[in-house]
Amino acid sequence: MTATVTAPAAREGTGRRAFDKKAVVPWLFLAPGLLLALVFKFWPMAKGIWLSFFDVRPFLGDKWIGLENYGRVLTDHRFQDAIGHTLILGIGQSVGAILLGFALALLLEGQARSLKFLRTAVFLPAVTATAVVGELWRLMYYPTSDGLLNSGLHFFGLGTVQFLDNPDIALYSTMVMGIWIWAPYNMVIFLAGLAGVDRSLYEAAAMDGVSLWQRLRHVTLPAIRPALMIVLTLATIRGLRVFTEVYVLTGGGPAGSTDVWMTRAYTLGFTRNDIGGASAASVVLLCVTLLLTVLVNNLRKRGEAR
Amino acid sequence: MGDRRRRRRLAAAATVAGLMFGTAACGSGSDSAGSSDPNTLEVWTRSNPDSAATYDRVFAAFTKKTGIKIDYQPVINFDQQLQSRASTKDLPDVMINDTALMGSYQSQGLLKPIDPASIAGGDRITDKSWSSTVGIDGKHYGIPYSRQAQALMIRTDWLKKLGLKAPTTWQEMLSVAKAFATEDPDGDGKADTYGIVAPASAQNGYAAWWGASFLWQGGAQIIAPDGKGTYTPAMDSAAAINAVTWMKDNLFCGKKGVVQPGAITAVTATATNFQDGNAGMYMTGPYNITTFDATPGKDKYEVVPAPAGPAGGDVLADGENVYLGAKTGKDRQELALASFLVSAEGQKIAMTSVDGHQPVVRIPVNSTLDAAKVRNDARWSVVQKAYEDASEQFPNAPDFAPIKQDTADALNAIFTYCGGDVRSQLKELNDTLAGDLKDQDLLK
Repeated sequence: MTATVTAPAAREGTGRRAFDKKAVVPWLFLAPGLLLALVFKFWPMAKGIWLSFFDVRPFLGDKWIGLENYGRVLTDHRFQDAIGHTLILGIGQSVGAILLGFALALLLEGQARSLKFLRTAVFLPAVTATAVVGELWRLMYYPTSDGLLNSGLHFFGLGTVQFLDNPDIALYSTMVMGIWIWAPYNMVIFLAGLAGVDRSLYEAAAMDGVSLWQRLRHVTLPAIRPALMIVLTLATIRGLRVFTEVYVLTGGGPAGSTDVWMTRAYTLGFTRNDIGGASAASVVLLCVTLLLTVLVNNLRKRGEAR
Repeated sequence: MGDRRRRRRLAAAATVAGLMFGTAACGSGSDSAGSSDPNTLEVWTRSNPDSAATYDRVFAAFTKKTGIKIDYQPVINFDQQLQSRASTKDLPDVMINDTALMGSYQSQGLLKPIDPASIAGGDRITDKSWSSTVGIDGKHYGIPYSRQAQALMIRTDWLKKLGLKAPTTWQEMLSVAKAFATEDPDGDGKADTYGIVAPASAQNGYAAWWGASFLWQGGAQIIAPDGKGTYTPAMDSAAAINAVTWMKDNLFCGKKGVVQPGAITAVTATATNFQDGNAGMYMTGPYNITTFDATPGKDKYEVVPAPAGPAGGDVLADGENVYLGAKTGKDRQELALASFLVSAEGQKIAMTSVDGHQPVVRIPVNSTLDAAKVRNDARWSVVQKAYEDASEQFPNAPDFAPIKQDTADALNAIFTYCGGDVRSQLKELNDTLAGDLKDQDLLK
């Protein structure tokens, strides 16, 4: 009787000790990162959500106004325009960067030394500060024949294009820069995916005499599906919270034609000092991002199950 | 020398760290010796490392004189950092920043009211300057520190080459601009020169800031005070419609090259065409004199009063005030610093450039000083005269930030779409401004 009682207890005891030791070590390693995330990410995030329900006046006392900030942001026509711009820019930039990234990955896959050099060169935009890239593109887009792109057009006898000053094309000019920045980033993930493709499949395909397109469609694409999903998830999130590219290149102008959700929120918070409204706008963005991420993940799971 | 250089580097590093860590870095800064020691004041200015070097000299002289130490932080993105600091309810003791922000800060409760009589030497500051620091409730919320007014910088060598004179009216300015754009004033045989530099982006409200002088010269106002503490939006007046239409038709939608390419997305940091030597006129503040003396060069341009519009030659005046942060218990030290900053000695140190660093006081608020004499440079009397006789400031009592931003948004849109109807666009702006004033309970 006593034996049956003590035995599980003892086992439980040793089990817990083993559990402790095993569990504590990784948590210890994680602790600095978690702590930083807690202090710099989750706490401000929680505070932002909290502030979105207030008329924020730190020294006069915040005033609870419930959902008024949300109502104001969602009915503001500038924000409504910004949603449209964010979607166009986000989708265009993501699709463009994925296609270009994939093409680059296919071209630059391999072991040769020269390829390594090329890959590094191509990857540079992704590690350069966006503010610097913005200044660079601003010079390239310079609206006279002194600008790099316009001097090219001039050479072919075409007129100068107001890349950033024409409200009809400024958004697309920003998009091109975004694609240029993010394509190499996607390329690296695709390259990792391509490295995992079974070479013998290519050989078998070559023996069967399939076309290049068939090879891509039936061998390469299925193999890099996981990489594609990662890239897609990242691109979705990035597309929605696009800020730096727009802010440094056009500042949301001309005439608000490139204003996106984040630049609106920034203007609201920091030039109009409406922290409550800016928080509400950011929370809306957070919700949409979460929703889309979950959606993409679900799609992926369904795809894998199939 | 070496010491100063090290300190400058430190200041630069601190600024970068501040930029990177935002609230966190500033929060920890204030918990250290800075705010707990009653004999140390934490002072913020909106400065880059270059002008911070001048502030360093000012504060060193103050510490030497009074023994009160200064924990000085030059902050580039001042407004963002201050909002972050405000959200932790811990402000710097003393701040030096733009005059037009006073209403915004006061409406958020960030500032301590000031009794002008408590500032030693406060009677040497003119009534005009003091009146610009009166808040919505009739109390003073800032101490005038530096003043400036815009003036026209113009390439004298280009004028000479084309046989032209510096313009005194809008029409003359327009014809000079067209000549600069088309008659190859730099003589390189290429059509690569422009008339006027315009930072007309809506970002940070630049279009309204730069355009304000034109509005006043055209007899318009953005919002009009009624003398009883309330305001009416005034951008649908005939004068405003005329002035904006003139700007749109002649500068932005008229002949090419009158303003620099890319003007409607340019902010002051990217509107460097005068400095780069490809634009001939720039209506801007005198802080650019130091910059322009280096390029295009002191002998290549002159500073003249702004060309007059139909209603006169008034230009935008602004400057910096000294603000005291709310809720710190160091009144005596803060007032001592403020008194030193506006004294003849403090202003002189801040007005002189050492090692080519940017001076931080432009036109002194201390009436015993003369900008041109202190600097031994006659060009400053043009600016001082413009400030004293022909300048207007943005109303400082209301929170002007949303008003400026909405005006800039509307002006930028008008200048962008040349086919638009100015009258209806300004009517729409007026309704938006009425909303802004109503939010602040200031609408008449």
